[in-house]
Amino acid sequence: MMKEHHPQENTVGDRQSLGKSFLFAFPMMLLTFIMMSGGKIPAEPQKLFVFAVTYLFFNILFFLMIHTGKTDRYRATAFITYALLFIVSFISHMFEVRGSMSLSEEKIILCEVPFCHLVIPMTLIPAAFTRTIIFPGSITEGYASIASMFAIWIGASLSLGRGWCSWGCFFGGLDDAFSRILKKPLIKKIDPRWTYLPWAVLLAAMLTAAAFLSPTYCSWICPFKAVTEFQAVTSFKILVQTIIFVALFIALVIVLPLMTKRRTQCSLFCPFGAMQGLTNRINAFAVRIDPDKCINCKKCVTACPTFSMTEESVQAGGALTSCMKCGTCVDVCPKGAPSFHVRGTPVDENRNIKRLLFLYAAFLFLATFSAGNIQDGLSRIIRLITTGSMI
Amino acid sequence: MRGFLLGLSSGTVCAAYCAPVLVPYLLGEGRGVLKNFSALTQFLLGRLLGYLSFAVFAWGIHVSLPQDITKQNLLIGAAYLILAGLLIYYSFFKAGRACPQAGGQGTGHRLRDPRSSFFLLSLGLVTGLNLCPPFLLAVATASQQATLAQSILFFLTFFIGTSVFLIPAPLLGLLRGFPPLHVIGKMAAGLIGAYYFFIGATMLAGGFYL
Repeated sequence: MMKEHHPQENTVGDRQSLGKSFLFAFPMMLLTFIMMSGGKIPAEPQKLFVFAVTYLFFNILFFLMIHTGKTDRYRATAFITYALLFIVSFISHMFEVRGSMSLSEEKIILCEVPFCHLVIPMTLIPAAFTRTIIFPGSITEGYASIASMFAIWIGASLSLGRGWCSWGCFFGGLDDAFSRILKKPLIKKIDPRWTYLPWAVLLAAMLTAAAFLSPTYCSWICPFKAVTEFQAVTSFKILVQTIIFVALFIALVIVLPLMTKRRTQCSLFCPFGAMQGLTNRINAFAVRIDPDKCINCKKCVTACPTFSMTEESVQAGGALTSCMKCGTCVDVCPKGAPSFHVRGTPVDENRNIKRLLFLYAAFLFLATFSAGNIQDGLSRIIRLITTGSMI
Repeated sequence: MRGFLLGLSSGTVCAAYCAPVLVPYLLGEGRGVLKNFSALTQFLLGRLLGYLSFAVFAWGIHVSLPQDITKQNLLIGAAYLILAGLLIYYSFFKAGRACPQAGGQGTGHRLRDPRSSFFLLSLGLVTGLNLCPPFLLAVATASQQATLAQSILFFLTFFIGTSVFLIPAPLLGLLRGFPPLHVIGKMAAGLIGAYYFFIGATMLAGGFYL
């Protein structure tokens, strides 16, 4: 299991007995089985094996979430596994269909670039004014079509809000993983004004995309191109773009998370995450703090990997709109003051039921959305071991 | 009339080109609607100055400069670099505002002070020289005008047509009660400045080596 951001021995969790845990986990077993299998169990032995491993992996993690009352460490285990196997699956796929990770001009002209959710904010203004999606992808066909990604994003926004960033994003697991490696942060003080940077990136990306009718964030600064796909270096301009995104990947996804124990890419740079914060306002789930239980120890403020807990927000009784609902604060509190909350209900009542409601929604989304990539990634690793090639 | 209609029909594109410069500035300054109108007027005057200088230029050459890709790259690249410099400077500018007595009264100081008309005029002027697609159309049409007066009139009416779409921009002043937006505006100006810098640098490189 993943290390917690700040392990605490004497924290309060809604621990359940084995019997109750099984009872609460049973609906998830059924739902994940239906969603992952699509009503058809794979017949091929290797596929069946991979399906079984993935199914067990998710359901054991969910069972442990219920049984231990802890959320973050089990979520992170699934989330990081997802990110790693997504990369394995994606890169292998790119090599299979293109022979390399690089994109040629031909593929861009043919609109064969997989669409990713990070592009969504940039497409909105041009789509409103020109009725055009400014991305060289396919609307309904291909590996990751624009329509499917929009549908998934809308669904996730309605059900999880910015919880997407801790339960759905296939990149978020990377800086989450690096933020857990060291026991203590090397950089402790970060000027809170940096938390405005994602909004500035969002504003800059949306305005420049509208001006140039081009997904400027993707073309110039998306760090995750380093582990997915990028344009073949055929000009000075593309060389500069390549240097920028590789440098940003190293800085924001590896070095800074390591040194700060925070998810710096997600909380200090990602424009999609900033926009997704707005959906937290309309989402049913939130993290709230029971003022009667809070002893103002500030452990949640120190532990929050996304800068979403501040002294002011704790005083105000909840997390900021940037909260990714990872559950770290809920797990780390010695008095159980923070909890997953359903809007419109009293903070101090039925905490366990509200936590379960959130976990059913979030975990089912994670399991359903990631299962395909995890199974494909596992299959390719098995293929690598048995044949020497992932393709 | 042709200039006005051309401006009106392509004004959204012009607004999209001006927005990356204007929106971060207005947010970063965090002033009220009326003061934003004054800032917009100064910005538009700068843009008009850019347009009119092109009117003279377009009439003078009687050829369409934008058809020469190498020269076009050099010109737009240089404009982007200046714009990048102004935006990055604005983003990192701190001194002089809190204490107006700190600076001098010379031209240099007025250019450095982001609230001075000079700074806004410069932003408008360089944005006006950015050769966005509608502007290229206007230059091509103006180069066919018989007299200088006709060329200037064409650009003036084109300018009025495009400016209509920027009128709502001062309403950003309604958000001034939200202090984080001032920081966000300045950060965005720096990021857009950096973006323009890379665009300008690569265009200049392309212009020199094509």
